Amino acid sequence: MLETVLCIDDDPITLMLCKMVITKASFSKEIATAKNGEEALKYFNTLNQTNSDYELKKHPQLIFLDLNMPVMGGWDFLESFSTTEYSDYNKIKVIILSSTIDPEDLEKSKKYPMVIDFLSKPISKEMLEYLKDKI
Amino acid sequence: MKNKTNQITIIYILVSIFLAVIYREVLKHIPPVHHHSFSFINNAIFILLSGIILKYFLNKNDIKNSEIFKKLKNTNNEIKESNERYDIVSKATSDTIWDWKIQEDRMTWNKGIENVFGYKQDQVGESSKWWFDNIHPEDSIKMSIKLYSFIEQKTEKWQDQYRFKCADGSYKYVLDRGFILKDENGKSLRMIGAIQDITKQKEEEQRLKLLETVITHTKDSVIITEADLNEGKIPNIVYVNPAFTVTSGYNSDEIIGKSPNIFKGPNSDSLEYKKLIDAIKNKEECQVETLSYKKNKDEYWVNFSMLPVSDSDGELSHWVSIQRDISEDKKQEVEKEQLIKELTQNNKDLQQFSYITSHNLRAPLSNLTGLLNLINDIPIKNPELKEILDGFNKSTHLLNDTINDLVKVIIIKDNPSIEKENLMLKDIFEDVFSQLEFLIGTHKPIIKFDFEQVSFLNTNKSYLESILLNLLTNAIKYKSETRKLKINITAKQLDHDVVLIFKDNGIGIDLERNRDKIFGLYQRFHDYPDSKGLGLYLVKSQVETMGGTIGIESKVDIGTTFTLTFKNR
Repeated sequence: MLETVLCIDDDPITLMLCKMVITKASFSKEIATAKNGEEALKYFNTLNQTNSDYELKKHPQLIFLDLNMPVMGGWDFLESFSTTEYSDYNKIKVIILSSTIDPEDLEKSKKYPMVIDFLSKPISKEMLEYLKDKI
Repeated sequence: MKNKTNQITIIYILVSIFLAVIYREVLKHIPPVHHHSFSFINNAIFILLSGIILKYFLNKNDIKNSEIFKKLKNTNNEIKESNERYDIVSKATSDTIWDWKIQEDRMTWNKGIENVFGYKQDQVGESSKWWFDNIHPEDSIKMSIKLYSFIEQKTEKWQDQYRFKCADGSYKYVLDRGFILKDENGKSLRMIGAIQDITKQKEEEQRLKLLETVITHTKDSVIITEADLNEGKIPNIVYVNPAFTVTSGYNSDEIIGKSPNIFKGPNSDSLEYKKLIDAIKNKEECQVETLSYKKNKDEYWVNFSMLPVSDSDGELSHWVSIQRDISEDKKQEVEKEQLIKELTQNNKDLQQFSYITSHNLRAPLSNLTGLLNLINDIPIKNPELKEILDGFNKSTHLLNDTINDLVKVIIIKDNPSIEKENLMLKDIFEDVFSQLEFLIGTHKPIIKFDFEQVSFLNTNKSYLESILLNLLTNAIKYKSETRKLKINITAKQLDHDVVLIFKDNGIGIDLERNRDKIFGLYQRFHDYPDSKGLGLYLVKSQVETMGGTIGIESKVDIGTTFTLTFKNR
C-alpha cells in the first residue's frame, strides 16, 4: 500500500469517487486532492514549509491527473512540474486519468517521462489492481 | 564524181558513133539522092565536138551540186546533233515534255507521261484534246483561256499551274512551261512544253496554309521572335497572331521589332523573367508564368512556353512563344485554395467540437458508472430501490456503450491509417467469445468455426475484435425465437484475398426494402430497446479503413450472411 496519492481534478464527484475507490481497494493510506494544476503546484511549494500556517502535507508517491481543468490544466501542470524548480519530486509517477478521446493527447503524454500510464475514467478496483502490479 | 562525168561523155560518144554507123549502112541500100552530103567523117567530128561541150556542162554542174550537198550535209549534222541533245535532255529531266504541232493538231509526249503519270504509250492520245481532257475540270477552263490567249498574242513564253489526271484516276499538281515556234509570218506552228510535278510542293503549301490557319485562329497568343537576345533583353518580335492583339491590345505593326520585355511591369515576376533569359542564352525550351501588362497597362496572368526553332542547317533561327491568359484560372485557384483552407479549418473545428462533446459526455457518465459500481458493493434490502437502481445500471451501461461506439466512429473517421499485424484468427475469436461469455452463456448458440484454409490474417487487432463483437452480438440479439441459433464462421483464401464468412439463422433483414440503408448511420431495422443503429455502420467503417469490403445476403426468417473481404498482404 502506498503512503500518499494526490488526485488532481476539478470535478468534486470524481475526487469523491477517487477517495472512495482508493480507500476501499486499500491502494493508499492518505489521499490528497487539488482542484487544478495551480493548486497542485502550491501543494508542492508548501510541502517543506513546516512553520507555515498550512496543515502538514505528505510527500505523494503517485499523482492521478485530469487534463481538462479550469485555471491550470493537466498539460500546463506537467510542463511546470517538469522544470528544475520541482526537481526534488522527479521520482513521483503520474497517471493521466481522463475522459478524452483525442488521440493526440496520448502522443503528447509520451513526452513526459514521469507519466507512466494514460487511463480512461472512471477509476475502478480493477484499474487499481492493475496499477499495483505496475508500480 | 569526175568519173561519172567521163562515163556519161564516153557513153554519149559511143552511142552517137553507133547510130552514125547504122545510119551510113542504111543509106548504102537506098538509092543515092543526097547521101554525098552525109559523110561519116563529118558526123564523127560533130559527135566528138558535142561530146566535149556536154562534158564541160556536166563538169560545171557537178561542182555546183557538190557545194549544195556539202551544205546540206552540214545542216543535217546540226539537226542530228540538236535532236540527240533534245533526246538526252528529255531523258535526263524528270519533266514531262510535250510537242504540239498546232496546225495539224498532233501532239507527242516523252517518257515522262509514263514515268510521272503512269500512261502506257498506247493510252496517250495523239491530239491536244487528250491533253485538255485530262486537266482537272475546275482548272481546265481557266487554263485553256490562258493558253489560247497566249497563242493569239504570240508571245514567246507561257506557264501555268493545274491538276493533271494520272492513269490511276488521281490528280497531280503540275507546273507547265512552254514556248512557241513561229513561221516567218509570225504564225504559230509548233509549241513545246515541259510539265513539272509539283504535287509535293503544293501539298506542303496547303499544309502550311492549314497550320497558318491554326495560328491565326487560335485563342492562344502566338509570338515569334528573333534568335538572339537584344542587349540582354528577350529577342525582338518578328510576328504576332491576331489573338495576341486581342489579349494585349498591341497591333502587330506597333510591336514587331520590339522586345517582349515591353510586357513586363512592376508586379511581374522578375525571377521568371531571369529564368526565361537564361533559357534563351542556353537555347533551351522554357515555361514561364507571370503577371503581364497590356497596352493600357492592365495586368493579366499569362502562362507561356518559349520553344527554340532551328533552320535547315540545325542553327537556331527563331523562338516561338505560345501564350495563354490564365487570369481566370488564377482567380479560381486562389478561390479554391481559400475554400480548402476554410474547409480544413471547419473540419478541424468540428473534430475538436466532437472531441470536446464526447469528453464532456464521457466525464459525467464515467462518474455515473463509477458510482454505480460502488453501489453494487453495498447490500440493498428495499426491493423497490433495488429495482430502481437496476434501471439506473442498465440505462447507464447502454448510454456508455452508445457513447463508446460513437467515439470509435469519430476516431476511425479522423485516423484513416492504422497499424496492422499478423494475427491468428482462432485467438481473436476466442478472445471475443470470452468477452461475450455472459451473452453466450445465456443464449447458448451453436457456434462453428473453420479456419483450416486460412489461419492468419494481417489486420488491426482492435478493429477486427470490434467487428466480430458487433456481428456476434447482432446474431445473438436478432436470433429467431423458434429456432436454436446457429452461427457458422469460415475463412477462405480467394486469389490474393481472404474472405471471412459470417452466417447465422436468425430473423434476417428485409433487403428488398433496406439494401441501401443497411450499413448507414442510425439505421435500425428491428424495434429492439437496445438497438442503437450504430453497429453495422461501425463494422463497415472499420472494414473499409483496413482496406476491405463487406457484403450482406439476408432472407427474412431464414438468416443473414456477412461476407468480409480483406487483402492479405
